[in-house]
Amino acid sequence: MTLPSGTRNYTYAQDMAILRTKTQWVLMAVFLVLLLTAPLYLGNYLLSVANLIGITLIAATGLNILTGYCGQLSVGHAGFIAVGAYTSAVLTNRLELPFLVGLICAGLMAGLVGLIFGIPSIRVKGFYLAITTIAAQFIIIWVINHWSSVTGGFVGIPVPEASIGGFTFRGEASQFYLIFGIVMLVIFFAKNLARTRVGRAFIAIRDNDLAAQVMGINIFYYKLLAFFIGCFLAGIAGSLMAHWIGFMNAEHFSLTESILYIGMIIIGGLGTTLGPIFGVVFIRLLQQVLTVMVVPSLESTFTALPSGFATGVAPMLFGLIIVLFLILEPRGLAHRWSLFKSAYRLWPFSY
Amino acid sequence: MKNRKFVIFAGLICLALMVALLPLGSACGPEEAKTLKIGITTPSSGKAAEKGAPMGNANRDAIEYVNAELGGAAGYPIELMWLDNGYDAAKVVTNVNRFMDEGCLMFATASSAMMSASMEIANRAEFPGLASFTAPSLYRPPKHIYGQMPDYGDDALAFASYFMDNIWQESRKPKFALHLLNNPTGYGARDAFKAKADELGIEIISVDEHAATTTSEMESLTRIKASNPDVLYISSTPAPTAVIIKNAYDLGLYPGVTIGLGHAGITKALVDIAGADIVEGVYGVFPTVNWGDDVPGMAKMTEYCRNLHPEDEGNMDYITSWAQSLIMVEILRVAVGNVGYDALAKGDVDAWRALETQGIQKLKDYDVGGLHGPVNYTAGDNRLSKSVRVFQIQNGVITPISGWVEAPVVKYEDFDWFGK
Repeated sequence: MTLPSGTRNYTYAQDMAILRTKTQWVLMAVFLVLLLTAPLYLGNYLLSVANLIGITLIAATGLNILTGYCGQLSVGHAGFIAVGAYTSAVLTNRLELPFLVGLICAGLMAGLVGLIFGIPSIRVKGFYLAITTIAAQFIIIWVINHWSSVTGGFVGIPVPEASIGGFTFRGEASQFYLIFGIVMLVIFFAKNLARTRVGRAFIAIRDNDLAAQVMGINIFYYKLLAFFIGCFLAGIAGSLMAHWIGFMNAEHFSLTESILYIGMIIIGGLGTTLGPIFGVVFIRLLQQVLTVMVVPSLESTFTALPSGFATGVAPMLFGLIIVLFLILEPRGLAHRWSLFKSAYRLWPFSY
Repeated sequence: MKNRKFVIFAGLICLALMVALLPLGSACGPEEAKTLKIGITTPSSGKAAEKGAPMGNANRDAIEYVNAELGGAAGYPIELMWLDNGYDAAKVVTNVNRFMDEGCLMFATASSAMMSASMEIANRAEFPGLASFTAPSLYRPPKHIYGQMPDYGDDALAFASYFMDNIWQESRKPKFALHLLNNPTGYGARDAFKAKADELGIEIISVDEHAATTTSEMESLTRIKASNPDVLYISSTPAPTAVIIKNAYDLGLYPGVTIGLGHAGITKALVDIAGADIVEGVYGVFPTVNWGDDVPGMAKMTEYCRNLHPEDEGNMDYITSWAQSLIMVEILRVAVGNVGYDALAKGDVDAWRALETQGIQKLKDYDVGGLHGPVNYTAGDNRLSKSVRVFQIQNGVITPISGWVEAPVVKYEDFDWFGK
C-alpha cells in the first residue's frame, strides 16, 4: 500500500495495520456508523437490496480468492453456492438442526465438493479448468434436482428463518445485521489472507505455477486450499441466501449466475480485496436501477417501439459494460479507486 | 493540507445531510391522489421472457382498460407498479420487498417459480399474492398466496374425471402411463395422480420423466408401449409434448391409446410443431377460453391487445394475465366495498389483512368476463378458479368439448410424501 506523503511507519505493527492514518480511521468509523444504522433510514426494499449485495459479496470474495488471487478459473460458482444453500436447507428443515450448524456445515460441504472438483486443477488450467468447473455446475444441479427425497427435487424445499440462541432473524432489518456481520468477517479474513504465507503462495501460483513449484510451494496443496476456501465462502453465502429467501429451488443457481459472478470480480478488479466490493455493489445496483427505474420508464415513454424492448436493455448493458471494462480498464474499479486516491493525495499538484 | 481537510469535512457534512434528508423526500410534494396500488412482477426478460413479456403486457393493458373505461375499482384509480424480474429469484425477492415498501395492497407473479422464490417473504409479512401459473407447493397448506387458475395437478384430475365419465367404457381400471416434464409442471400431475388414483379408479402403470430440451423419447415410449396402457397423460410444455406425441405416432402407440395433456402443453404451438395430422384427436385441458370465443370479456381484451400490443394477439398467456389483472381489480372492489378506502389506504400489514379477509376471501362467482372459470374463494382452498375445460384437437383446431370441469381440492399436506 502506498502511504500518504509524510506518513511513516516505525514499527512492524504500524506497517501491518490495515488502517494507518487518522483520516482512514475517521472514514471507517463514519462508514460503520452509516452501515450499522442503515435499518433506521432504509426501507425494506433497500435493505433487501443491501442483503442481496451482502450475500453476493461473500460469494464473490470466495471466487476472488480462488480466481483473483490463486488464478484458478471457476465457472461453477453458483453450483457451489447451491451446495451450501441445500446443505443448510436440509439440515435446518429436514433434521431441524440449529441455523449455526447449518451455516457452518454449508460452508464445509461446499468446501469439500469444491475440493473434489478442484483436483483436476493440478493437471489442467485456464480454459480447460473452466470446463471442469462448468461440469461441477451441471453435476451439482443435476444431483439436487434428482435427489428429491432429500432436496425436494424440482419442486424445491422450504427453509426456516435463521435463528441464534432463541433470537429469530425475522425481516430484512435483522437479517441485515446477520449478513453484514458475516460480510465484515469475510472481508477482514480475505484482506488478511492475502498478506499471509498462504496468500503469497496463491499469488505465486497465479503468476507462474511452475516457478512457484520450483520455489518449493506445494501447488497441489495450495490450489486445493484455494478451492476449499473459495467454495467454503460460496457455501456460507448459499446458506444465508437460503434462509433469506425461505424457499430453495435449483433454478436459483444457473450457469448465468456463475458467469455473473465472474463478471463482478472482473469489473471490480481481480486479486484485490476491494474488487469484489466494487463489482458486486456496481452490478447489483445496476440491476436494480435498470429493473426499478429504467425499464418501466422506457416502456412507458417509448410506446411506439415494440413492447418488451426495454427489458433487453439490462443484459445488453451488462454485456457492454463487461466489454468496456476489459478494453479500457482490465484491472477494474479497484484500480480506478487506487488511481483516484493517488491523485487525491497529491492534489492540487499533478505530481 | 488545509484544503484536503476542508474537502473531507465538506464531504462528511454533505453525506450526513443526504442521509438526514432522505426520509423527507417522500414527505414533501403535492398531496397524493386517492388510488389503490398493486404490484405485478413478470419475467419479461431472461429465459422465460417468451411467456413473461406478453403476460406483463396483458397485465398493464388490462389495468389501463380498467382505469380508462371502468373508473378503476369502486371509483378509485388503480396504480400499477410493474417490475420485470428477469426470472431471477433474488430479483423477485427485492421486487416483492419494493411492493411492500411502496404500499401495494397485493402483488402478483406470472410463473410458479417466481412465486416460489418470493412466497416466504410474502407469507412472513402477511402480504397477499396471486400467482397465475401455480403448483400445490405454493398454497398447500394455505397461507397468503393464492392461485389464479387450477394447477397442473388439477389438470390431471379434471382430465381423469372427464375420461372416466365420458370416454372409458370398460369395467376394469384403465391403465395410465404418465410422461412428465421434470419440473413442477410434471410433478404437479404426478402428485395429483399419486393422491387420487385409487379414488378415481385408475391404475398408474408407469411414470417417465423428460427434460424440456428432449429430442427423442423412443426408448421410454417403447417401454410404455410394451405395458399396454389405455391412456398416455403428458404434463409438459409444447415442444417436448410434440416430441413425445410424434415418437408415439412413429411407434404405432398413437392412435390407439388416448392421449391427454395438461394445460402447459395444449397450445397452438403444439399443433404447429408436431403437425396437425399427428396430434389429431389428442385431448387436453385448459383453464381459459380461446381467442375469438364468444364470451363477454373477449371484445375489450382483443381491442386493447390490438391497439397496444398487437404482436400478442393469439397468445393464450395474454388471456391469463389479462384475467389476472381483472381478478385483482375485483378483489380491490370487494375489499373497498366491505371495509372502505381508508382501511386500505396505508398499504401496511393491517391493509393487507383487510384486503385478504374482506377482499380475496369474499370473492364469489366472479366470472372474469367468461375468460376463464368462475372465481370463488372456498375456505381452506387458495385456488381461486378451480375449473378447466376439456379440449380436443379436431382438424388441427383446439376445440372445446366440455363445459367447465371443477377439480376437487387435494389436501396434499395430509400425505407423508408431499414435499419430500
